[in-house]
Amino acid sequence: MLTAAALVPTPPLLVPEVAGGSAGRDDDLRDACDAALAVLLASGAERLVVLAAAEVTGPVDGTWDWRGFGVASPARPAAARLPLGLAIGSWLLDRAGDRRPRTAFGVAPADAARAGARLVAGAPTGLLVCGDGSARRDEKAPGHLDPRAGPFDERCGSALASGDPGEVLRLDADLGRALLSTGVPAWWALAGAAGAACTAELTYTAAPYGVGYVVGTWLPRPD
Amino acid sequence: MTTLRFRDKVLPATGGLVMAIVNRTPDSFFDRGATFGLAAALDRVDEVVGQGAHIVDIGGVKAAPGDEVPVAEEVRRVVEVVEAVRDRHPRVVLSVDTFVPEVADAACAAGADLVNDAWGAPFARTAEVAAQHGAGLVCTHAGGLAPRSRPHRVAYDDVVGHVVTTLTGLADRALSAGVARESILIDPGHDFGKNSRQSLQVTARTEELVATGWPVLMALSRKDFVGEVLDLPPDDRLEGTLAATAVTAWLGARVFRCHDVTATLRVLAVVDALQGRRDLAVGKRGLA
Repeated sequence: MLTAAALVPTPPLLVPEVAGGSAGRDDDLRDACDAALAVLLASGAERLVVLAAAEVTGPVDGTWDWRGFGVASPARPAAARLPLGLAIGSWLLDRAGDRRPRTAFGVAPADAARAGARLVAGAPTGLLVCGDGSARRDEKAPGHLDPRAGPFDERCGSALASGDPGEVLRLDADLGRALLSTGVPAWWALAGAAGAACTAELTYTAAPYGVGYVVGTWLPRPD
Repeated sequence: MTTLRFRDKVLPATGGLVMAIVNRTPDSFFDRGATFGLAAALDRVDEVVGQGAHIVDIGGVKAAPGDEVPVAEEVRRVVEVVEAVRDRHPRVVLSVDTFVPEVADAACAAGADLVNDAWGAPFARTAEVAAQHGAGLVCTHAGGLAPRSRPHRVAYDDVVGHVVTTLTGLADRALSAGVARESILIDPGHDFGKNSRQSLQVTARTEELVATGWPVLMALSRKDFVGEVLDLPPDDRLEGTLAATAVTAWLGARVFRCHDVTATLRVLAVVDALQGRRDLAVGKRGLA
């Protein structure tokens, strides 16, 4: 049973030690993520699943670690390094002090919706859904400007704001890949997990660095 | 330190050398089109040669994403300058900044001595082109990124190890393609396929690049890794650039690609004096 889902973006600069001196410029984004996590963590979940698009699908062992981005982190326990989306989600949960049983789970478009449904089939489960809109939103964006990026992110935003799994499943994963978006597979998994319309709220939708960030929550409606 | 030779031009065997940037582009990040016109580009070449640049690097396409430049247009922009400069400054080393083999070929045919393949050799044929003309080659690390693209969340287990492995592979390849050993440079590609922390690591660990035995070119000038240390725009990055120049020169880098020729030459002169490669230009203080 799905208890709640929180949606967060996955920029490395969300982590203050990665962002360095400019970390404070994104406090609004970090605060929005923390607030969405608070809803998730108060939803009565017995276990949590961190979901993100990843090359390896299924449960992924490992921990977050920012040394790959050049940060001189103190030594961490010898463990595999999670892919970025799963690392950011796990870091956010650690930052919130959550100690519940937790699975990091990679999804790909082919099986994302079914995987989402399977993940919430048993005990009350909360999802932390990690992914981004297009990275081609403007001329300074990592992927430069693609005129399709703005409309694509608007479609993603309105589908996610609708709480309607059908709307989310109609998002175009191929176009998303072309626009350097990592969100669609994770959002499809959310749609599969939800099964029915949820109460959705988006609290942050913006692209301050040319990458579309979305923060929000999905709560199942009472029967 | 090893002698560098590009076609018939031999550069000093010791000490730091300057490669001056001349952009035949309307949109490069620092000069923003100031030397796009042919006359302005030639004036700029005269200026940097007069200041003492050892190498002039002529580029026809800006590094960052932007308007597509057809090959024929890039050839026109670069070759016009090379042809004109070849007559005016027969002894200066002329470099062409391009990742396109056809452009390298045309520029070398017009008299360029060095191909600055600044995007990590997306076309292997560029090394053969350089070899056919007896020209030199700069082998650059761009982290596997497509030309003219920005890094996006790029992570490395060990960025310096990746740079060393990639560059020694490219340099060996250039050698086997027929480029002369003393005509090959390696460039770790600051900002290219790297975030600023990764560029700083590469800078701080210059010795590992020098230890490969290949002469190291540093393209540091006014780049984002300097700008992000200081939170300053390109116009205000000279001092930061010179700090990195001094440190990497001390650690053994040989060639410095820059916008600010006089300032860079002065920094390199002091480093050379500190390391005993250069005598005083004036020895009077306390000696009269």
